[in-house]
Amino acid sequence: MNRFARFLLAMSVVVVLFGPLPFAAWAALIAVVAAWILDPPAVRAGLRFGAVLAIVFAASITAAVVAWASGPQRGIELGGMVLLRLLVLTVAAAVLVRSVNAETLLRMSRKIGMERLGLVLGLALNSLPRLAEAAADVWTASRVRSDGTVAHLRRLPCVGEVLLAHTARIAEEAAAAASLRGHSALTRPGDVLRTPVRVVVVTGSSNGGKTEAVTAVAGRLQTSGVHVTGFVQPGEFLEGQKVGFVLLNLVTDEKAPLASLGERGDGDFGTRFQFFDGGFRLGSEALSRTASDSVVIIDELGPIELRGQGHMPAVRKALAVVNLGGAVIVVRRSLVPSLLAELDASDAVVIDVEDLGERSVDAIVNALGALSCAG
Amino acid sequence: MKDVRPWTYAALFGALWGAIEATLGTAVHLSKLPLRGTIMGLAGLLCLVCLRRLQPRAGVCLLAGVVAIFLKIFTLGGLYPGPIIGIAVQALALEIALTGAGGRSIGAAVGGFVALATNPLQKLVTMWVVAGTEAVRSYLLLLQKSAASIGLEGLSPTVIVTAIATATGAVGAAGGLWAWWVAGRVMRRLGKRA
Repeated sequence: MNRFARFLLAMSVVVVLFGPLPFAAWAALIAVVAAWILDPPAVRAGLRFGAVLAIVFAASITAAVVAWASGPQRGIELGGMVLLRLLVLTVAAAVLVRSVNAETLLRMSRKIGMERLGLVLGLALNSLPRLAEAAADVWTASRVRSDGTVAHLRRLPCVGEVLLAHTARIAEEAAAAASLRGHSALTRPGDVLRTPVRVVVVTGSSNGGKTEAVTAVAGRLQTSGVHVTGFVQPGEFLEGQKVGFVLLNLVTDEKAPLASLGERGDGDFGTRFQFFDGGFRLGSEALSRTASDSVVIIDELGPIELRGQGHMPAVRKALAVVNLGGAVIVVRRSLVPSLLAELDASDAVVIDVEDLGERSVDAIVNALGALSCAG
Repeated sequence: MKDVRPWTYAALFGALWGAIEATLGTAVHLSKLPLRGTIMGLAGLLCLVCLRRLQPRAGVCLLAGVVAIFLKIFTLGGLYPGPIIGIAVQALALEIALTGAGGRSIGAAVGGFVALATNPLQKLVTMWVVAGTEAVRSYLLLLQKSAASIGLEGLSPTVIVTAIATATGAVGAAGGLWAWWVAGRVMRRLGKRA
């Protein structure tokens, strides 16, 4: 029954757009009945008073202009035609709109082999509440800061600018959050990463020297008698290409393979790499030795951890240790906003190893020293 | 892992554009405000130019256009052909112009010109789809008579439509450059080099 009604509705749209007036009148009647069978609330929503008024207005204007140019008879005919066309298009659109949501869209896009487009559209739909929230915040801030309506209007370009910046930040977070995987979670806030200390966030681009910097920091701290826990994850390279990672326990110097490049480029967690439980186990063990006054080094947190998987459960426990001496977390640049959004720390210092070059080790140690003094 | 930021940026900026079209756009179209196409065109330019400066990858403007059309249809806006054609043409114009200009400001100006200059033509196309050839002819005749009544006699409908298109296009070119400047400020706000 529904399939037949859908067919009738589609045919009616074609007849109304391309057929003569008498046929169009019958087609319009059939379209409304078919739409009513398919989804009565959609028809009621589509043909609300305002929409009907707009349709009648558009048809009347057309009728008036054509009547003035070609005579009243043609004016009435064309006005009637416009009325029927807009009526049928509105009803058909209302039914179509109510039958599509993010999930059906994703299913449909998968069927035609365009999953990523479906995810993008799903992300756009899911992010609307966050955009609306950001717009409301920006608007309210502008109202509060403006002394009167004129001042508020003057601030409008600035409001637009801040809203665009917010949009970019949400896009960064979405990219970091799930790499277009698990689209429904792209804009869902994750669990908070609680720690009683300020955190030194070490960042830089891929292969930009982050691991080398924090390894040097760990060595220097250990030489000074500081208890260092955690791990680093140096990459493994073959002919200049990164083919995997090993995990090095900074407490015991034990090593374990963590990930290697998938054979056909398809790996775990939506990445190109296949991960090994042994690597995660060693990481967890390295973090479990964190105690009061320890400095914990975590190299690094990636999209997997920011989705709550991988090292994240062990990281949460390590950062929650009472009287922790300090924490150094390595993330790539694109994930910094996402990490900062998840951190529930009193403060965080961000150090970009590529900006500071050789001075980055000193900068990290100094930042940790400042934290110790502050503590 | 492959960088997915161009996709998420296109999704978010398309969502912003679609949301503006579905809310502000629907309001200005229903209230029949003058220059509503130009106002909405400038809002679209701002979103697209900013997106392209933040993510200088070919195709992001087109993708944002697809997202905006999707949201316009499936949220408040409904399936009104005019704005949908407008969004599609604007996204295409900006994509071609900015890609062709190698991501320089001249691309924003040219894209803005084309996007807004096509507004009057889009109106004619929409009218032709909904009301047919005769209604378009009547409208052009009305334009000709209106021009004659203010002293511009003897002008053909083509000349009048071209003049209107050029004027809105000039506004679009200025809007494109303005959007480029705003996008630079947004980049600095985000700590990126403009």
